[in-house]
Amino acid sequence: MQDTVDVLIIGAGASGAAMAWSLADTRMRILCLEQGDWMNSAEYPTTKQDWEVQQFKDFNSNPNVRGLPTDYPINDEDSPISVVNFNGVGGGTILYAAHFPRLHPSDFRVKSLDGVAEDWPVDYSQLEPYFNQNDRMMGVSGLSGDPAYPPKQPPLPPIPLGLVGETIARGYNNLGWHWWPSDSAIISQPYQGRDKCLNLGPCTSGCSQGAKSSVDITYWPEAIRRGVELRTRCRVREITVNEDGMADGVIYYDADGVEQQQKAEVVIMACNGVGTPRLLLNSRSDQFPDGLANRSGLVGKNLMFHPFGIVQGVFEEKLDSHIGPQGCCILSKEFYETDLSRGFVRGYNMQITRGAGPVGTALQGHVAGIIPWGEGHHAAFEKRFDHVASIAILCEDLPEEHNTVSLDPHLVDSDGIPAPKITYRMSENSRKMLDHGLARGEEVMVAAGARDITSAGPVRPAGWHLLGTARMGDDPDKSVVNSWGRSHDVRNLFIVDGSIFVTSGGVNPTSTIQALALYIADTMKKNLANLFD
Amino acid sequence: MKDDNDIITTDNPLTSAQQANLAALLDAMIPADEDRELPSAAELDLVTYITGQAPEFIPVLALALNSFEEPFAGLPRTERHLLVEEFSKNEADLFNALLFHTFACYYQDDRVLVGLGLAPGPPFPRGNEIEPGDLSLLDPVLQRSQLYRSIVD
Repeated sequence: MQDTVDVLIIGAGASGAAMAWSLADTRMRILCLEQGDWMNSAEYPTTKQDWEVQQFKDFNSNPNVRGLPTDYPINDEDSPISVVNFNGVGGGTILYAAHFPRLHPSDFRVKSLDGVAEDWPVDYSQLEPYFNQNDRMMGVSGLSGDPAYPPKQPPLPPIPLGLVGETIARGYNNLGWHWWPSDSAIISQPYQGRDKCLNLGPCTSGCSQGAKSSVDITYWPEAIRRGVELRTRCRVREITVNEDGMADGVIYYDADGVEQQQKAEVVIMACNGVGTPRLLLNSRSDQFPDGLANRSGLVGKNLMFHPFGIVQGVFEEKLDSHIGPQGCCILSKEFYETDLSRGFVRGYNMQITRGAGPVGTALQGHVAGIIPWGEGHHAAFEKRFDHVASIAILCEDLPEEHNTVSLDPHLVDSDGIPAPKITYRMSENSRKMLDHGLARGEEVMVAAGARDITSAGPVRPAGWHLLGTARMGDDPDKSVVNSWGRSHDVRNLFIVDGSIFVTSGGVNPTSTIQALALYIADTMKKNLANLFD
Repeated sequence: MKDDNDIITTDNPLTSAQQANLAALLDAMIPADEDRELPSAAELDLVTYITGQAPEFIPVLALALNSFEEPFAGLPRTERHLLVEEFSKNEADLFNALLFHTFACYYQDDRVLVGLGLAPGPPFPRGNEIEPGDLSLLDPVLQRSQLYRSIVD
């Protein structure tokens, strides 16, 4: 058994890293256990000739396809949306697009404003200083003055619009609709020892340049310099409790698959919206027969994705669309806030993305029946490659108890730990919202001058955002953790990842996940003397 | 007595007959384009590529290549195309797998990248330049009033 640590953080991704860095102020002994490895940017696909093919293999965002020893399987057969993630120091930020919008003020008050779901026990104004702090720590590029948000000042100028951004922006202008350069966790200028974006293209397979702000190169080096210990290849099986019903540590498997025990005074979970409920449900005991911190019965319930659709347009002119940050360009909030005349409540974000590389263009074109093999191949490829722009429709998903993460009765990971099972149905509201978004996306494409417009959704391999499965709230019967992430049932157990989201908002959640983690860390620091009261 | 075509004379795991059929098949999939200065897929070393990426596919491919009867490789292009089309329907899974490897191998080959007007080699550390974009396009957006809902508790 190892020495008892003051704070044990499980997971070294977006929230665990922010938490570790902030809590390092306390000079407590902090240990983070991560089931994956450190990444080596020299090994990322864009350093290799076969960079596009690597994205289908070891850098595939689907853990069931990737199948690395550091991954765990996920049964997602009972869901139209499959889970994507990454396990390693940096977690999902290794493969994320780094599109970095914040939730809106209205997202925290959906019950009061729209009569659906629940209000959050925190609001935008409480999180605002932590959004700003996180933007500085991560290195966020953007432009102030967006009328769709309260005033904010990203620390770096926006990343280039490129021909894709300009072309689609003109479409939005023709319709009189909102658009704005995206807040992006990609540095447009040299920043804190890191060099600026080189416009390599595929941010979603790791950034060889280190310009994309994954937490292995932002928070973690700072946290480790400040004394935090990060131990890799440690897969936690369960959180243990003492006779008083307090968490007292974890049992984990090390790199050799040997069972280890680690004692801790405080346990913080940062395992994402699937990993956290999985671990809680695997942590059963006489005191917690239904899983740890689950007296509400809500652990694993209310799973929210962001149902995701895509509209593509092919343009006569060349857009150089295979270069530049793939997922970060411009966005539109024209349909973000509720307008019931549209036939649904809440709204969606429109995220303009750039195009695929040569291999991706050929393969996608073939699957879509647009680029044939044979004599017509080159001409069809030429019309499409570097001529495509896309609009992603990212819908707010409201919480529904029947959408769940549970334990699969048969499937286990390489250490024999029961694996998660996803059960999910897209709601009628989300379906209407997605259809509305796809139709509006097509309008934008027409207004921008595209030909050959196609749209589809929900896209299956798009479960990037894993939210709501251990939600926060003031009422212990209706939530798993309180307004600062502390379990209602286990007073030295905290959750800081996307599982504590009450609602999903309609934007990529990493910025808000990290702001929440920093807020919780700060609240813990202010309450150290009576943390468990 | 063994047919010469069955003798493997190099590291190539395919017989010379299979190699000839594969070349004809690949040429039908992606023919050369002189105007665009793009090679035929038959000019690439696809066997080495597949051996590196998916070695288990080689024996499956070898078996399938035996199904083309002589003189498949020597047929005029239009006749070959018809036979390949038939093959693509009868052996759809195998054909699509071969197409996947062929497209992947082809579009990461430096000769092809240069033919497309791109720089050879991997993207890093070379990087790319993109247009900064005209932010004055935001003028009409800036004219608009607040779009987000204010919260009054």
